[in-house]
Amino acid sequence: MKICAILRTVPDLVEEIEVIDDEIEPFAYIANERDEHAVEEAVILKERYGGSVDVIGIVDEDSEEEIEEPLAMALAKGADRAIKLTMSNKSYRRIEQAKALAEYFKDKDYDLILTGIQGIDAFTGMLGPMLSVYMELPFTGYVTSVEAEDGTVKVQKELGGGLLGEFRVKLPAILGIVSAEKPLRFVPLAKLRQVMKKAEIEEDELEIPEFEGVQVVKYYEPEKPEIVLLEGEPEEVADKLIEAFKEIGVL
Amino acid sequence: MELESESEMLETYMERLSEIQDGEKYKQCLQCGTCGGSCPYGIVTKFTPRKMILAVRANIIDELLESGAQWLCTSCYSCSFRCPSQIPLTDGIIPAARELSLLEGNPPEELARALMNTARYGNPFKESPKKRDRWVKEVDFEIKTLADGPADVLFIPECFGAYHRRCKEVTKAMAEIFNRLGTDFAILGRDEKCIGDSNRLSGEFGLFEELVEKNIKAMEKNPFSRIVTIDAHAFHSLRSEYPRFGFSKPVLHHSEFLAENLETLKEMFSELEYIVTYHDSCYVGRRNGIYDAPRDVIRAIPGVEFVEMKRIKENALCCGGGGGGVWLDSFIKEFMKERPAEERVREAANTGADILVTSCILDIPMFEDALKMTGLEGQIVVKDICELVLEAIR
Ligand code: SF4
Ligand code: SF4
Repeated sequence: MKICAILRTVPDLVEEIEVIDDEIEPFAYIANERDEHAVEEAVILKERYGGSVDVIGIVDEDSEEEIEEPLAMALAKGADRAIKLTMSNKSYRRIEQAKALAEYFKDKDYDLILTGIQGIDAFTGMLGPMLSVYMELPFTGYVTSVEAEDGTVKVQKELGGGLLGEFRVKLPAILGIVSAEKPLRFVPLAKLRQVMKKAEIEEDELEIPEFEGVQVVKYYEPEKPEIVLLEGEPEEVADKLIEAFKEIGVL
Repeated sequence: MELESESEMLETYMERLSEIQDGEKYKQCLQCGTCGGSCPYGIVTKFTPRKMILAVRANIIDELLESGAQWLCTSCYSCSFRCPSQIPLTDGIIPAARELSLLEGNPPEELARALMNTARYGNPFKESPKKRDRWVKEVDFEIKTLADGPADVLFIPECFGAYHRRCKEVTKAMAEIFNRLGTDFAILGRDEKCIGDSNRLSGEFGLFEELVEKNIKAMEKNPFSRIVTIDAHAFHSLRSEYPRFGFSKPVLHHSEFLAENLETLKEMFSELEYIVTYHDSCYVGRRNGIYDAPRDVIRAIPGVEFVEMKRIKENALCCGGGGGGVWLDSFIKEFMKERPAEERVREAANTGADILVTSCILDIPMFEDALKMTGLEGQIVVKDICELVLEAIR
């Protein structure tokens, strides 16, 4: 199976981010966790059925360098090729990105393209479905495991309300991975550094046209809720809690 | 990047062992079984240290790894301490096996997360490195940073002391004691990274080395004469492992510092009416032979009645937190009903003490959790030795 997994970086929320009107300035970027699951599942499938795994790191000019460690991590985990794909416009215009990616994938002949189901910076989860439209390939999301069966894959996916379902999808196809079958594998630091030193990360660029439809007006952080710690003996705390409930009108 | 075959595994294992001091001594194992008999997990594990050595000799390391025995160890050092052939079990035989699990990519999940967080953020909690010195805002005196100027004492609170809500109380107590004693002290602040002993003992040698390099660099910013730390594992690593990387300052465990200042403290002490027992933390006691300093300090506080537990000094039972143990709790729980910490707090409660004094920062979350599990909460309270001292000089 020829597999491709798409990996993006997102702002690292453990470190501080600065929000200035129409810009978000992260202190650091980190691999989008859902995408890491897509990479993991890709490697699991390669180990099970053979074939190859290409990992495509999508970046803009700002996060260009910070994709290198996650890409090296993917290689250390068992991916065969790592490709850094720089998008010309810093953009959240997913439609334009998807169109350009679809064009890029055209002659690549992947049997499976795996994406994470969402990025913490967008929440739209639309890359997979949009790729499916532009590439005219089947898509299904919220996938938790994949089994190959001659020319198709049988996938298990999460439905709403705690239900699970099994679906058969004809290849080539695009899958949105919610979590890999196994926990993300561990890579010791020395191994990662070793791979980073000799990793050959291929580079490519995609021209994304401007898109006028939606414009950022402003970004802002929600007001922080006030946190009050109730301290004292259990009886005292219970009294204070009842007072607090009365104050906000729930008692 | 998995290890392809048995022989490749053995080769990697042997290579690591050759880099560890006295690693070759495993050849002198007498198969006497003292190690397994000394181990808190000896009854539940499929491979005691003795059997691990057998597995290496028989080239069945994969069986060992599959059993999970390499993770049923909290680096308490009992086996190594008693081994008649002085084989580095805690520092070598076990972490080298753990390293193979890490290379296979499948260590216990909680531990894996802690290691990955430490690699990225310099602490296992997934907290911002910028928040490492936040505790400083919670005391009402100035604390300087080594980057700002030289100091006599460099104070290392380590990760638990810097971030953990309960353990921060110990850090603040020690800082207040320095302040009351007029000690010229500084911290590394945001420059401090995890000192790394748990990473080393967990087999993440590469991460350990990177942390050592970063910390040594931070320590070179200005002169200081010695280190004092409240973390027993940081103490051990700084004293016995960091010198291999060119670090050469004296390192004191805070109980030693308190004992050194005992005459001054005695003048400040007021009476405390407690019955106190003391837990010899593995890396203070058994590992580094510090038994008297903490006892002298406790005994010097007027009004305190000091009682000993059944297993003390080199025979003290481990709290289960060392060598990555705090992150192996749920893994270990699968193998045993009652964890060592629970057994230990029962032992402490049996002495009739009101206070269980500890000297390793990891003891606090381990024992406080064990008090909840055993229903002994309220009957006996866990305090670090510096918290007890601070109470006596307040
Ligand atoms: S105590 Fe030492 S010599 Fe005895 S079995 Fe264990 S490792 Fe071998
Ligand atoms: S160090 Fe302690 S826990 Fe680990 S194997 Fe030895 S005796 Fe057991």
